[in-house]
Formats: sequence, C-alpha cells, structure tokens
Amino acid sequence: MTDTASRATRVVAASGRRRRHLGGGPRAGTIVAFLTPFFLPFVLFYLVPIGYAIWQSFRVVRRTGGQYGTSYTTFGGFHQYVQVFHNTEFWSSIERIGLFGVVQVPVMLFVALIMALLLDSPLLRLRSFFRIAAFMPYAVPGVIAAIMWSFLYSPQLSPVVEVLKDVGLTPNFLGPGAVLWSTANVSTWLWTGYNMLILFSALQSIPQELYEAARLDGASNWAIAWRIKVPIIAPSIILTTVFSIIGTLQLYAEPAVLRQISSNISSTYTPNMLAYAVASGNNYQQAAAISVVIAVVTFVLSFGFMRLTTRRAGL
Amino acid sequence: MSNPSTARESRVGRTAAMSLMFLLAIYFLLPIYFLIVAATKPQSDLASTFGLAFSHFDLFHNLHTLFSRDGGIYGRWAVNSVIYAVLGAAVGTFISALCGYALAKFPFRGREFLFSVILGGVLVPTTALALPLFLLFSKTGIVNTYFAVFLPSIVSPFGVYLARIFTAAAVPDELLESARLDGAGEFRTFFSVALRLMSPSLVTIFLFQFVAIWNNFFLPMVMLQKESLFPITLGLYEWNGQTARAPLLQESVITGSLVSILPVIVVFILLQRFWRTGLASGALK
Amino acid sequence: MSNTVTRIRLAGVAAAASLVVLTGCSSSAPSGHSSAAAAACAPAKGKVTLQYWNTVPGMDKVVALWNKSHPNVQVQTKNISNDQYGTLGNALKAGKAPDLAQVGYDELPDLRTQNAFVDASSCKAATAAKSKFVPWTWSQASFGGTGVFAFPQDTGPMALFVRSDIFKQHGLSIPTTWDEYAADAKKLHDADHNLSITFFDPNNAEWFNGLLWQNSAHMYSYSGNSWHVSVDSAQSKQVAAYWQKLIDQKLVRTDLANGSTPMYAAYQKNQVASYVGAAWGYSMFRDNLPDQAGKWAVVPMPTWGTNAASGDWGGSTVAFMKGSKHLYESVEFNSWLNTDPQALALENKLGGLYPAATAGTKLPALSQGVPYYNNQKIFDVFADSSQNIDTSFAWGPTQKTVNLALQDSMAKAAAGSGTLTGSLSAAQAAALKSMKDLAIPATAGK
Repeated sequence: MTDTASRATRVVAASGRRRRHLGGGPRAGTIVAFLTPFFLPFVLFYLVPIGYAIWQSFRVVRRTGGQYGTSYTTFGGFHQYVQVFHNTEFWSSIERIGLFGVVQVPVMLFVALIMALLLDSPLLRLRSFFRIAAFMPYAVPGVIAAIMWSFLYSPQLSPVVEVLKDVGLTPNFLGPGAVLWSTANVSTWLWTGYNMLILFSALQSIPQELYEAARLDGASNWAIAWRIKVPIIAPSIILTTVFSIIGTLQLYAEPAVLRQISSNISSTYTPNMLAYAVASGNNYQQAAAISVVIAVVTFVLSFGFMRLTTRRAGL
Repeated sequence: MSNPSTARESRVGRTAAMSLMFLLAIYFLLPIYFLIVAATKPQSDLASTFGLAFSHFDLFHNLHTLFSRDGGIYGRWAVNSVIYAVLGAAVGTFISALCGYALAKFPFRGREFLFSVILGGVLVPTTALALPLFLLFSKTGIVNTYFAVFLPSIVSPFGVYLARIFTAAAVPDELLESARLDGAGEFRTFFSVALRLMSPSLVTIFLFQFVAIWNNFFLPMVMLQKESLFPITLGLYEWNGQTARAPLLQESVITGSLVSILPVIVVFILLQRFWRTGLASGALK
Repeated sequence: MSNTVTRIRLAGVAAAASLVVLTGCSSSAPSGHSSAAAAACAPAKGKVTLQYWNTVPGMDKVVALWNKSHPNVQVQTKNISNDQYGTLGNALKAGKAPDLAQVGYDELPDLRTQNAFVDASSCKAATAAKSKFVPWTWSQASFGGTGVFAFPQDTGPMALFVRSDIFKQHGLSIPTTWDEYAADAKKLHDADHNLSITFFDPNNAEWFNGLLWQNSAHMYSYSGNSWHVSVDSAQSKQVAAYWQKLIDQKLVRTDLANGSTPMYAAYQKNQVASYVGAAWGYSMFRDNLPDQAGKWAVVPMPTWGTNAASGDWGGSTVAFMKGSKHLYESVEFNSWLNTDPQALALENKLGGLYPAATAGTKLPALSQGVPYYNNQKIFDVFADSSQNIDTSFAWGPTQKTVNLALQDSMAKAAAGSGTLTGSLSAAQAAALKSMKDLAIPATAGK
C-alpha cells in the first residue's frame, strides 16, 4: 500500500514541482513552519522513545555492595536479547499469538470480504442497515468490547450460556482451551465491520464498465465477484491484512479484561502482556528488548507480507 | 441475458445472501442489545433473569448510581475522554493537515525521505512506544498528568499520510498559484484556500484519530495512576476488576459501558460518508 | 464490605499487577556503597510537616488526632489505595517521596533493593520499639535486625473459619491437623457430592505463601555475599503435594476466587464448609452472609503434625522513606501511630486493621466476644496465631515477579495441566532469573 501510495503522490508532486518553478517555491522558513508542529511531537513522542528503547535494550543492571546494594546500568551488548530468546514465556506468548493470528485474521477478513461483496452485489436489500450493523462495533473501544463479551461468556450472567444449556450444551468459554478463541471472537467482532468497509469502499470505486463485458458474456455474479472484483481490490485486502497483523501483535486490552474473570489467561499471555509484566518487575531493560522485538517482528511481518503479495499479484 | 438459470441462481442467491447477512447482523448487534437490556435492570436481576429480556425497568436509578458513585468520578472520566480524544484528535488533525499539505504542495529536498519516515511510523506498534515513553516521562515529571496521555496522542503518522493524499487530490495547484499571485502568503493561502477544500477529508482524519485515541488503552494504563485523570476505558477496566469483590459495581460497569459508547455510535452513523471516503482513499491511492 | 475490600488490597492480595516504577537503576554510575547507612537523628527546631501516604480507610481521622496534640509536628496524609506502589514509585523517581509510606511486608525487600528506605536506627526511639511488636513483624521490618527501616502496622495471622453446624451435622469434630482436615474433606464430600471442605484459589499467591510459611518453609536467606533461593524446598513441596492431592480427588473446589461473588454464593448455598483465612477477614462473612450468623467459629490453623506454627497472610508496615528530612519526628509519629492504644483502636475501628503491636492485640474491641461468631472471642485465636508465626521467614527482593509466576503456573495446575509442585519449581526458576536480571547475586538451595 505504501509503495503504490507514494508512487501516486510522487506523480502528483512531480507535476506540482514543475509549476512551482514558474512562480518560485515558498521559503525554507515557511516550509519549516508548516512541518514543525507535526515533526516536533513526532520526534519527541515517536522517534525518541524508539531510540531510547533501543538504547535501553543494550543495557544491563549491575549492583554494588551487599545484600541489597545499589544498582546502576552499563552497556551489555545483546544480553537482553539473548535473555528474551531464552525465555520460554516469550516463545509461548509468540506461539499463542501466532495461532491466534493464523486463524483469526483469515476468518475475519474472509467474513469481511464476503459481506463487502454481498453489499456490492445486486442480491441484497437493506444495505445500509447491514453496513451500519457491522460497522457499529468499531465505535466500541477494545476494553469495553471485552467487558461486554465477558458478560456473554460468564457462566452466571450469560444468556448465551443459558440458551445453550437448554439445548443440553455446557460450554465453558473461559476454559483453558477455549479462552484463546473467546478472545479471538472479541477481536473479530470489533474489526470485521471496519475491514468490511475498507473493502466495500474499494469495490464501490471500481468503474461499472469493467463488469459489463463479463455480464454480457453471461458470467454469474459469483464469477464476477471472484474473477474480477477480488483481484482488483487485492491492494485493499493486503492493506487490511497488514493492519490486522499489526493489531494482533499488539494485543493487550482484550486478554487483560478477560484475565479479570478467567485464570486461564496468564500474566504473560501475549507478548505485550509479557513486556508489561517484566517492566512491573523493574526489569526495564529486558522489557525494552521485548518491545523492540515486537516492533521488529511487526515490521518484518507486515513488510514481508506486502512484498510477497505485491510481487505475486504483479502489482 | 435473463435466462432461467441465472434467474434461479439469483433467487437462491438472494435468499442465501439475506439469511447470511441477517445472521451476521445479529452477531454484531447482540452484545450491544444485551448491554442495553442489562443497563435497564437492577443488579439483582442480572443473574436471576434471562439476559436478553427486559425485566424491572431501572435505567434511571442505574444512571443515578453511575454518576454519583465515588463522588461522581464517572462524569470526570467522561470529561477526560473528551479532552484526550476530541481535543487530541482536533489538534492532531490540524498538525497533520499542515504537514500533509506541505508534503504535497511544497517541493523541497528530503521531502520523500521525510514522507517515508512518516510511513514507517504508521507501522510502529504504538504499544511498543508506551513503556519507553513512560520511563522518559517519569524522568521529566510528566507521568500521571493530562499531558502524559494527551501529548503522545496528537501524533498520527497515518493522519499525515491521509492529509498528503487528500491534499494532492482535492487542492488544485492552479488555485494556490492564483492566491499567491494575489499576494497571499503561504499561511493565508493554506487557511483561506486549501483548508476549505480539504475540510471533508479533515473530518475523516479527525475521525480516524479520534478512534485511535478513544481505543488506546495501554498508554493511559501505563501513564496514569490518579483516578481523576483516567479516561472512561481505564476507569471501567478498574471497576470491572473490582466487581469480583464488590459485586454491586457490576451494574455500574454495564451502565457505564453503554453510556460511553452510545454517543460515539450515533456520531459514527451520522458521519458515515466521511468514513467511506476516508477508507476508500486510504486503501486505494 | 468496603473494609474487607480495602483490607484485601492492603494485604496485597489483589492480583492485578500494577506497574511498579521504582527503578533505582536509571543512574549510570554507582552512587555510593552503603545504600542504607543510618541517617542522623536530631529533633528539628520549629514547626515540622510530615507526609504520610497510605491506603487505610479513615487514616485521616487517626492523623487528625495526632495533629491536635502535636502542633509542632503536623502530618499530612494521602490515600494512595488506587495504585499504592505505582504512586510511590513515581514519587521516588522524581525525588518527591513522602517521609513515611505504607509498604506490605512482602514488598519490603523489593523496595529496599531499590534503595527506597532510610535506616532509622540512629534514633533511640526506633531501636527501642522492638519490644513493642509481635516478634516476626519486627524481624521483617528490621530485615533480621540489621537496621530499622519500617515499623510494623498490621498483620494477618491465619486461622481456620469453620461452619461448625455442617461439621456437627456430619458427625465430625473440628480438625486440628492437616491430615485430619484431609480426612474430613473426604468424609464431607462422600456424604454430599456438592459439599467441599474449602476451595483453592490458584490466583492467590499471597494466601499460598502464608501456607508455606506455616510449614516453616524458608524461601530466602542471605549468606556469603549471595542470596539463597529455596522456594521449592521440601517443606513447600509438602504443602503443594497436600493441596494437589485434594485437588486431584476433587475434594476442594478450584473455581472460586477469594472474596468473589461466586465464592460468597457457594458459601451461601452451604456448598463449602470452611475457609482458611486471616484476622482481617473476620468481617467478610459477617458482612456478606448475615444469615449465617451463629454458624461460624474460628479455630487455630490445622497443624503439620505436632508443630503448632501458624502463618501470616497480608498486613503491612509504615516505612521510613529515603529523602525524609525529619527522621526524628518521623520516628516519633510512626511510633505513636502503631503503638498508642488510642490510635490502634481507631485504626481497628475505621480501617479494620489487626495490630502488629503486642499491646494492640489486647485492645478492648479485640478482647470481646463477637456476636456473629456466637460471641466467641475469636481474636484470642488470632493473637495466639500471631505469637506462633515463624520469625525467621523472609521475603525475596523480586517477590512480585515470583508471585505472578507462581499464580500463572498454579492456574494451569488447577486446570489440570501440571502440578502445584511443578508450580514451585516454576516460581523457583522465576526467582533466580528475576534476581539475576537485576544483578542480585542468587543461587539455588540453602
């Protein structure tokens, strides 16, 4: 998405540059004045903390004097990273989140795609109702969504559990095996509508003429959807996938809320929860290393995914 | 064209599509419906009556309890959420617009480099920033103040990205040139010509950033200890954690959740078209 | 109820981990060797104002009592129950720590490792206070007598709360040893499958630590320039194996969280026959299950064989914080706060504190029969328990991390994967690793 995006703006920019030479560009001071209000906080609250985390992740704690002593930090090379990679909690949180992502992201995006295609097809009535219904959860913060669902999971309060009991089922949404998928359900509920809307907007901007020929050839709606529409909106599908991967790796609020009612979510359930738990134990250097690793993994995965798919699709 | 097989296909397809969409709509609306029902019940009915059916109508009593609990702290949280999300998104949109406009319309060396740095920023997981920011802020004494949450929230690389794209698409160079020929300075041109043309897209940027801040839980959790500075999300999270030991809080958590999301849902529905233009441009350009 | 809630928080039982911020390691160079050298102790000239942070409900009224009679030493209180260690940590970092702050016993070594305290032993009144407190509390507040870093405030001596009516109904006498307790557990469960003798809350490391403490499990010691970590000692393993057996035989429930609504519901429905608790918990049943008045009794903890030792669950100290400029006055106030009968009575009444001062255990309010418990003098049981608590028990410098690891693993064991003995090994490993990460010299074993 970024590649195509910057290409598009580059074209626009290039034409602007040509014109500018006629009238002369604004002075450097003016440009700086336009950029500074964003870049100053961007540097202070984005770049500096990133730099600080990286710097800290290369420090280790040392201590002088006796049983309690006084601590200080010193350069420790890759020590913290070695520790992170030897940490079984870290690997199990990564494994858990990997399993979560491999299942939840495709399921969510598949549902979102189907919904978007249906909304874009002539098959449906009540379109705006469906669109609004699906989009509504996007207005709900993750914490509150998890609180709402935790009531629907709770054995004491849930009408869902009650109905299932009447049918003879006794589900335990918070059990050791189920709780990961209960968390995944909260994420799916929250984000499906948002992703659907991205895909739907993309579909809406395809010129109708593109299908006309196919329709004249007698192609079914189904065929048009899969053979023509889906390939055209592939960049949007890639974009939603990338954002979903980023979201998955950052998972914190939803499992943290469910942890309040289920002992099957440990304090180190996701990489982010692990980082927080380690920081709570005053081990800021290692927490920084975990944060850096999460960021790098996010970067690699999202860039890697974009590279891979754009090359395959020949975009 | 309208041969019988496609007609059958579309009839079957229509029914299947409608049923599927109805099922999904129920899935999306059920938790919100449950919340509405639960918010009208007295605490004692929560566990003893069926969750999807109304019982004793106690909404106003629940609202009263909610807003008077702990010296009216919930109202305070609501105000805080507005400060963080509305004010933060407003400031953020403005600085994103300035920057995006400059990146789109001013030719200068290093422009593409700056833009790629910003694009990289889009991919940085913001939760990874929270802990280092916390340590930096605690050294400067900003921790546990409004600024600790507000300042990092105004930065939105995605907003700049959108602003640049929208500017390129919506603000013709010719108009800027003629404003300049009339002797307007760059700032006046920006405020009097560009900003007006950009305004629909600014709403979109605002909405995106609003949601990002409104959703951001990790940052306030790390930064704030003082209850009076909490946004609603953090406050409800705290209450929810206490319900196991103070069961009477449960009703307030439910009512509080409903009160916090209803206005946002309404605004979202009203501003729908801005979402769609925003999402379309964000995705396709 | 609100008292109970707060007591539970005080006891540090609330499992939610709050980000503790005391780094103490942000400086890049060592700032001197004797981290806790005794500070000078001289009375100030003129008027002094002390800051005192705590989480005790009603503490402002106790302090008002002091302020009225001490115009020259005025104390300002601040309630930090929202995030006790977070608030304290931020303040320490910013160099704005109060003179005195409430710190749980199990947090003392952690904070000391972060250089948060000042040693008050240069004040005569501080060292002289030793005789006024229950022995184990002084041992912990003075770090085994190496200084005076805090005065004990309250404790949670453990005892067994029993539904005497249920025991009687099933023809059982009150168990006095853990073996008898296990046997009774089986008899009760065999008689009625919906009845359990108690519950095991896997997310309550503080409670479990109390049980380990009772069995003379020594988790930490220090000698030869190194900590010795034995979280998984034979004594600890004996306790773990005992509860594991009860869990395996389904004689105790594992689905109830301490103090939660479902827990009270289970007791309300007569599904649970006893509760392994602490002194501050006496009001829990009284306030939440009023219909069961007269059915409850408090008896000493079941013992391991003939060893009468008891354990402690929760409680806290008032610590002398580094940076205080008025050590003399701090000692004076702290001593009044935690040994004066009038102050102790008020703290007990308003905050539900069970005093750590020996004199406090003899308060009138704590010497009378309690109506809910059939007018039994339940506090006598707690006072005896208090005297029988092992004084050589010590907490580790990374206790919070260890507790989290223990809980995570115990939750898995309760859900059927792994055992509680395995949880001790996990906690042992977490202790060694977290200490190593903070450059605290540590080795396994005695």
